[in-house]
Amino acid sequence: MRATVRWARADLRAHRGQAVFAVLASAGIIASLLLAVALSSYAANPWQRIFTQSKGAHVWLHTQAGAGQDDAAALSRIDGVTGVAGPYRTGRAVLEAHGTRAQITLRAAPDQPPQIARPLVTAGRWLTAPDGRSDGPSGAQPTGQPEIVLERSLARVLWAEPGDTITMIGAADSSSRTVRVAGIAEAAEPGYRPGGQPGAGWVLPATLDLVAPGSAARSVGLRLDDPGDTDFTVQRAVTLLGADRVSQVVKWQQVRAEAGGDDRLLGQLFAVFGLGALLAAALAASGAISARVRGQLRDIAILKAVGFTPAQVVRGFLVQHLAFALLGAAVGTAAIALLGARIPGRIGEAAGLWQDLPGHGAQLLGIPAAAVLLIAAATSLAAWRAGRVPPVPVVRAVQPSAVPMTPLARRALGLRVPPALVLGWRAAFQRRPRTLAALARTALPLLMITAALVASATLDAFRSRPAEVGVPAALTVRAESGAVAGEGLQRLLTAPPGVVAAHPGVEAAALVPGQTGTITVRGLGTAARPYPFSIAEGRAPAGPDEAVAGQGLLDLLNVRIGDWVRMTVQGRPQILHIVGRSIEPEAGGRVVSTTLDTLQERDADIRPDFHHLVLRPDADASAVRAALAGAGGGALDIRETANPADRLEPAQGVIAALVGVLALIGLTELLTLAGTGVRDRGRDLLALKAIGLTPRQISATIVAAAGFTALAAAALGAGLGLLSGHWLVEAQGRASGIGAGIAQLPSAGVLLTVVVCAVAGAVAAAAVPAARTAHRRLADSLSETL
Amino acid sequence: MRLPLLALLTRGPAHGYELKQDLEKLLGAAYSQPNVGQIYVTLGRLEKSGLIAGEDVEQSGRPNKRTYRLTEAGHEAVLAWFDETNDEPRVRDEFFMKIALAPESGLADPIDLINRQRRHYLRTMRDLSKLAASEDRDNKVSQLLIEGAMLHLQADLDWLERCQEELE
Amino acid sequence: MSDAAAAGPGGGIPAGDAPSGAGGVPIVRAEGLTKTHVGEGAPVHAVRGVDLAVQPGEFVAVTGPSGAGKSTLLHLLGGLQRPDGGRLWLDGRRVDGYREARWSVLRRRSIGIVFQFFNLVSDLTVADNVELPALLAGASPRDARASRAELLAELGLEGRERSVPGELSGGEQQRVALARALVNHPALLLADEPAGSLDSKGTREVLRLLSRFHQRGQTIVLVTHDARMAGAADRVISFFDGRITDDARLDGPEPGPRRGPARGPAGSVSHVVELRD
Repeated sequence: MRATVRWARADLRAHRGQAVFAVLASAGIIASLLLAVALSSYAANPWQRIFTQSKGAHVWLHTQAGAGQDDAAALSRIDGVTGVAGPYRTGRAVLEAHGTRAQITLRAAPDQPPQIARPLVTAGRWLTAPDGRSDGPSGAQPTGQPEIVLERSLARVLWAEPGDTITMIGAADSSSRTVRVAGIAEAAEPGYRPGGQPGAGWVLPATLDLVAPGSAARSVGLRLDDPGDTDFTVQRAVTLLGADRVSQVVKWQQVRAEAGGDDRLLGQLFAVFGLGALLAAALAASGAISARVRGQLRDIAILKAVGFTPAQVVRGFLVQHLAFALLGAAVGTAAIALLGARIPGRIGEAAGLWQDLPGHGAQLLGIPAAAVLLIAAATSLAAWRAGRVPPVPVVRAVQPSAVPMTPLARRALGLRVPPALVLGWRAAFQRRPRTLAALARTALPLLMITAALVASATLDAFRSRPAEVGVPAALTVRAESGAVAGEGLQRLLTAPPGVVAAHPGVEAAALVPGQTGTITVRGLGTAARPYPFSIAEGRAPAGPDEAVAGQGLLDLLNVRIGDWVRMTVQGRPQILHIVGRSIEPEAGGRVVSTTLDTLQERDADIRPDFHHLVLRPDADASAVRAALAGAGGGALDIRETANPADRLEPAQGVIAALVGVLALIGLTELLTLAGTGVRDRGRDLLALKAIGLTPRQISATIVAAAGFTALAAAALGAGLGLLSGHWLVEAQGRASGIGAGIAQLPSAGVLLTVVVCAVAGAVAAAAVPAARTAHRRLADSLSETL
Repeated sequence: MRLPLLALLTRGPAHGYELKQDLEKLLGAAYSQPNVGQIYVTLGRLEKSGLIAGEDVEQSGRPNKRTYRLTEAGHEAVLAWFDETNDEPRVRDEFFMKIALAPESGLADPIDLINRQRRHYLRTMRDLSKLAASEDRDNKVSQLLIEGAMLHLQADLDWLERCQEELE
Repeated sequence: MSDAAAAGPGGGIPAGDAPSGAGGVPIVRAEGLTKTHVGEGAPVHAVRGVDLAVQPGEFVAVTGPSGAGKSTLLHLLGGLQRPDGGRLWLDGRRVDGYREARWSVLRRRSIGIVFQFFNLVSDLTVADNVELPALLAGASPRDARASRAELLAELGLEGRERSVPGELSGGEQQRVALARALVNHPALLLADEPAGSLDSKGTREVLRLLSRFHQRGQTIVLVTHDARMAGAADRVISFFDGRITDDARLDGPEPGPRRGPARGPAGSVSHVVELRD
């Protein structure tokens, strides 16, 4: 044992730089992985984030018969309740803005945001009391107008921004007043969906009195210290208040389920990339250690001749590199745990928040542990190979078999191509298994980076090119019955300059034989003016009874394009011929779309419920919206068409973090590559000098070899990455029901940047050691060159 | 022996016994106990050829000692000797003859011959090593002569190996 | 000594010309050792059916043309390569079936090896290099340090403890290698062309050291091209094409008549130089 320790220590001292680099690399990779996990928790679980940040209430109790401060005090004394929010007076109202209407439950809030269930102001500011105290990001002057703070999803539907003036109509007396939007806030409460539960907004008590005087409704929120204990606590709270007084109980599980949405897509993507990153890290570690072992073959042989058993050699390497990995993991984990929150921007926010999220501890320990285990496995393999080195220090151990100069190379030299380039090319593409393995290992992180870029480009397409991913119409307009309709409406809608076409549409639920749930049937466009469906396969519906279906529907009913599907729409049977598949980002893809004419054939009374407006690519949606609102008076209800871009947006941050991890791993591989190249060419140093190359040419050869290998690896990795990324995104799309056909490839500029960075990295990594090697004084003893 | 003696006489006249002592001192262990008789005989022949001239010196109570000095011709001869290049016999042809003829005659096994000669060379080498160790380190001439003999022996041994390779 | 026995396969081993050996267990005994290298091209029979015995305190030199398999034989004796056939005893123990780990343990205490090149671990200092076998054999760091200091002093290398092998000359490196091989006072010292890459001064130094240790009773098996080094041994084995073709003792009187310059007393050469007419 002593001898192993003595050797390991001396080895460490001799290769201090490598050791420090190994520790730093492991620390960097693990820190980046942890950040990626933090960001993905942040992104994939928005409800959790908001809940934690806002110190949300686990249970909301809505009463109709008043509740006072003593009630609150009594509630707070219940076992397990750590805080009480409210009780707040509430009242119903209807908000109207820009032609859109929404039901809202107003809550009376003080001029400081409450501590428990604190709404997080994201734009504008919180309510200000008339005497000038304000709270919020931008302290503005109090005005005489009553103010309201809207919940975010409600504000989105209304297209309201801080500073806008909207109309509030009391539910009790239908009197309308104008209120100013003071700010927009996020809360851990169910979001607003048109036609669903009323939205949420906060006003000062005085304002509530104006709109809903004498309202006895109250809301009380309870924050528990053990979220699992909700039911029991709810029971006790209801008993305390009196079951007859409590009209509604909302538990946090319900809210989370409603806010959850389809984030499986993101979750799976992150899992795949995360695992891939871990694997790539393990491979990089294995490669670096193997390279190190190869550089020490002679020493290992001598050690064995002196009397080290193979087990001792293996143990020596393992202990050393495991120590590096553990130290690196500890440093990386500690850095994130202690300093993560200080990083500027959303990353720091995510890191800080992550600490409070459930499962944080497990992730903080589990991920570094998994990484260390993988690195240990990779190290064991390399160390085992070190143990197999024969104890005879042979000269011919690692000499490559000579490959004659190809005629191409000879011609190149004849054409006065710099010899450094030609020799570097030969060195890079030797067609030996070791060179190919190095190429493959370097290509892997580049492959994954390119795949991640494909995912990123796809997500970006939802925002920048929605027509290609199933959202061709930017705006949806509903007209109130009795107002303009038919041709008049059509002309009105197509009047603003940005509108290309207005397509009438109707949507209904339908039953299919053999399924308990309903599917969605849409009739969009007419035969005269067909709707621009995003068709992935087949064709758009042209004739009678033709329709296109989303992937989710095809999977659900187990049908293919060309089949006939029977369904019952509003009591009447309908048979449709599926002629194509469209991309359907909503409702899990379980949608079948046909023309309005087809539906009207079955039931002539069907009138279009809404119109989808397709805008010109450069048109501004809000300008068109304003123009239509003006033209239509109050009769038009104009909204943005549902687009999954919003919930997919935070994923970009996670992808960026993963790309960072992979870039670090790629850098490690490049450094290993450069080191190996330098060592191999260093052996030929004498010969190269003998044929007349200057030191600068020799170092240029080494750098060129590294550069060419990186170029090949980048080309290979980018090519395969495009293919695999495409396949991955398509697979995810198909699985989540949106349907294959959404994958977008990153632009050529981005790909070129990746390749250039890889080559530049290799060249930079090889430059300094190459120069040092080339200028090394030649030793005249034989052992130096062998 | 002739030209080395002439070369020694360029320093000045000397008699036979002095010349013997000079040789001894110069060559040291490499040529221990030179044969006095051979020296006198050689000196006589040199005088007869006119390369040296002798002169008797009176000695009381003893026979006359003959002192020799170099003549012009002798001087020329020494100069010519230094000028010419030397060709030593390259191959110990007697031993090689034995090897070549052994299979013809069928009376001896070539390998056995080689082995025995090798053992002899090795013993000689061992003796030379001992000689070099015992000799005064500062006598460069002697050391060089011994080393020269060792190098020749090494060459002979290498050549024996070659013979063994080829004749096997 | 087995060379006095009947001839092995493929050619006779001539009888040694010395009285057969001392009693007691030979340090190394081999019977029918065989090793064939399989590489690119035809297989090379490096060692074919070699019988050998080395008594304690003997200094054996193995000579022969390069490529004859001398180094392979040495590697077999030291357990650095496994024989394809035959039997091997070290100090009376049968060792040819040992696995690599067991050989390593055996080598620590009982065998010291010096190669032509690559003798020292390039990352360790001279002191660490020399102490390593001692530590492996279980000595305490203090004892190891003491042995190391003693040996380095003996070999004239004080003051070089902290140097790295890269800073030493070829001769110094070989001396350190010798120190390392001898730090555990092994029963057997194997040397493969130890002076092969040195100049004549270095060769003389190595030769002197080997003789010195041999006089103290160290058993040495030496593979060499150099006739001077071979001449320093008691016993010279000629190795040719994988077989032993001759096994001669160099001390003792030379048998048979000879022709050549006259011999002085005790077999010494009287005239290196021939002054003829």
